[in-house]
Amino acid sequence: MILQIIISGLATGCIYSLVALGLNLIYNTTEHVNFAQGEMSMVSAFIGFTFFKMLGLPFGLAVLLTLPASALMGMIMERLTIRPAIHAPHFNVFIITLGVSIVMKSLAGYAWSHDDFPYPHLFPNKLLRIGSITLDMPSLGMIGTTCLLMILLYLFFKYTKVGTAMRAVSQNQNAALLMGISVKRSFAMTWAISSLVAAVAGILIAPVVFLSTHMGLVVINGFAAAILGGWGSIPGTIAGGMLLGVMENVVPYYLPSQTRNIIPFMVLVGVLVVKPTGIMGAERKKRV
Amino acid sequence: MKLKGKIIAFFVPLLLVGLFLGGVSRAGEAGVTDDSILVGCSNSFSGPLVFPGTELVNYGLEIYFKHINDQGGINGRKIKTQYYDDAYSPQKAVANTIRLVEQDGVFAILASQGTSPVFATVKYLGEQKVPLLFPFQGVPFEGVAATDTALGGKYIFTAFTSYPMQTEIVLKWLVQKKKFKRIGMIYQDDKYGYSFRDPGKKFLGEMGLELTAAEPISRKAIDASAQVAKLKAANLDACLLVLTPGPGGMFLKDAHKVGWKETKLISSGPLTDEKFIILAGGVGEGVWGLSLWPDPVNSKIPGVVEYREILEKYAPGHVPNRFSLYGWFYAKLFSEAVRRTGKDLTRENLVKTLEGMKNWKSDIISPVSFSPTDHKTQEDGFMAEVEGGVFKPISGWLSIKDGKLKERRYKE
Repeated sequence: MILQIIISGLATGCIYSLVALGLNLIYNTTEHVNFAQGEMSMVSAFIGFTFFKMLGLPFGLAVLLTLPASALMGMIMERLTIRPAIHAPHFNVFIITLGVSIVMKSLAGYAWSHDDFPYPHLFPNKLLRIGSITLDMPSLGMIGTTCLLMILLYLFFKYTKVGTAMRAVSQNQNAALLMGISVKRSFAMTWAISSLVAAVAGILIAPVVFLSTHMGLVVINGFAAAILGGWGSIPGTIAGGMLLGVMENVVPYYLPSQTRNIIPFMVLVGVLVVKPTGIMGAERKKRV
Repeated sequence: MKLKGKIIAFFVPLLLVGLFLGGVSRAGEAGVTDDSILVGCSNSFSGPLVFPGTELVNYGLEIYFKHINDQGGINGRKIKTQYYDDAYSPQKAVANTIRLVEQDGVFAILASQGTSPVFATVKYLGEQKVPLLFPFQGVPFEGVAATDTALGGKYIFTAFTSYPMQTEIVLKWLVQKKKFKRIGMIYQDDKYGYSFRDPGKKFLGEMGLELTAAEPISRKAIDASAQVAKLKAANLDACLLVLTPGPGGMFLKDAHKVGWKETKLISSGPLTDEKFIILAGGVGEGVWGLSLWPDPVNSKIPGVVEYREILEKYAPGHVPNRFSLYGWFYAKLFSEAVRRTGKDLTRENLVKTLEGMKNWKSDIISPVSFSPTDHKTQEDGFMAEVEGGVFKPISGWLSIKDGKLKERRYKE
């Protein structure tokens, strides 16, 4: 039974990791904290819902259409709300994203209602029996999809010209500009990729918590995962999310269920006291 | 004209119109004019109870009142309504209720929803002597007797079977009729959940048993696998689900994930609706539940057939469900009381009329009777099982009389 609980925790952790990854991508490039990351997941899942439920497209096609639509949404958000405030203090941008999250939630409620809707799994809703262990395909699928997405992003940033340019911008914007890299375009690309990651998270989590305008709340756990793993560290966000997800599931199995949030967040505080940069985070030093 | 004169010329007529309009409704009773009655409530149009809230208001109360108004209203008065969203927040519910009473001047609060939001408004409504009619929650108003005018008990009429009574009905049916012994519970970690858990311990104790396992879960939880694992390990005959539709559907999914089939899962009254079975995505077959209402989609009971026909007339294609049926039923009961009260409609007269109602047949649930000491609309329910995605009756109407389980035939 404990193995099943760990698998379930890993699946939940994958969602936290994906949200944390989206947050980290934006933070690494722009040093902005995007409070609307959860709402980007929610709206993306609703876009998919519109494609397959309201327009009657096959679910697979709906998902394929959702990804570019979501990336476009990220670019538009960046262009309309973030870029005009590019020289504003980070706190101002944080408040802008908070405002955007509230607007997105309200508009989604207006467009699709605040009701809960069932959402199909991307993977067959079947059980896999290995000896006495029963594993469910959607959980395994969530873990597999997250791992695949991480590998693809790693390859993108490591080996493509655009990815390399984005890394350059994240390290030194002025130097990148002098090298002929468009910082504005890099920012737009970052938001597009972050929104795409949010869409994957939304499509994976909607069948679990059901599609609704309040599913964006998962951003809180995403923040916790990003901080636990270390702001700025992509492997750290994966580790942080997984660790948080597994702890949330394993702890209440051995202790009273009310400890579900207490122990993981005590661990989070403990880790940050010992290592303030998080498990894999590194201290950012700027030369003056 | 000087500025001062312009200001006076602008505001004085406004003031006079305001006084006139205010005077029309204030001349008699708040919210009542010669040709209208204003009622309203604070409800969930967003948040975790959005589905019940939207259904019971938009497709229950509103549909019935449209139907009544199209027939000329009641005693020459049309029903007007005003609602505000509280998103299941007690603070918002209080602010909304004050607005309804003091700004909108409603005659009564009808079918507000949610244990915490409703309880947050009770004291204020009692002080204002505004009737709180049929709130959608089942925690008893302990310490507020129906006869207690000072605490507002006189103005409160409860709606469905209380949570402790639901618990007693289900547990006695399981133990006495089904011979179950090992009974557990997954409950929402708040007042709603405790209102089943604590009576559950008491009633099982009276039958020489104990609540074998009880696991709390947060309303906002996104995973129930740890609770499922612990309840499965307890080797239960039955497990009560005291949840709302979202977490209820999630719990069924997590139970399915680990192949948990040996325990009968049973939904509480507020949860027993096809919504949570739909959310569970096809893994709810065989689940039992205490139903307070007949099957809204398939029942041939005349009152339910009428509800379906009129719902189809005003909201074509909208799928009937227990929450809109609930709103419909209470709008119908309220309208009946208003009709019986006659032209001299005051809050005091409405309360007197309600207290005088005996065996009012709605053709939906058991006949309704009130008295000066009994303001409870419903005190029964029946067990149902999910078959083909729909809850179908597997018992008669069950109630408790002198501590004993009574069963009355369920007639379609």
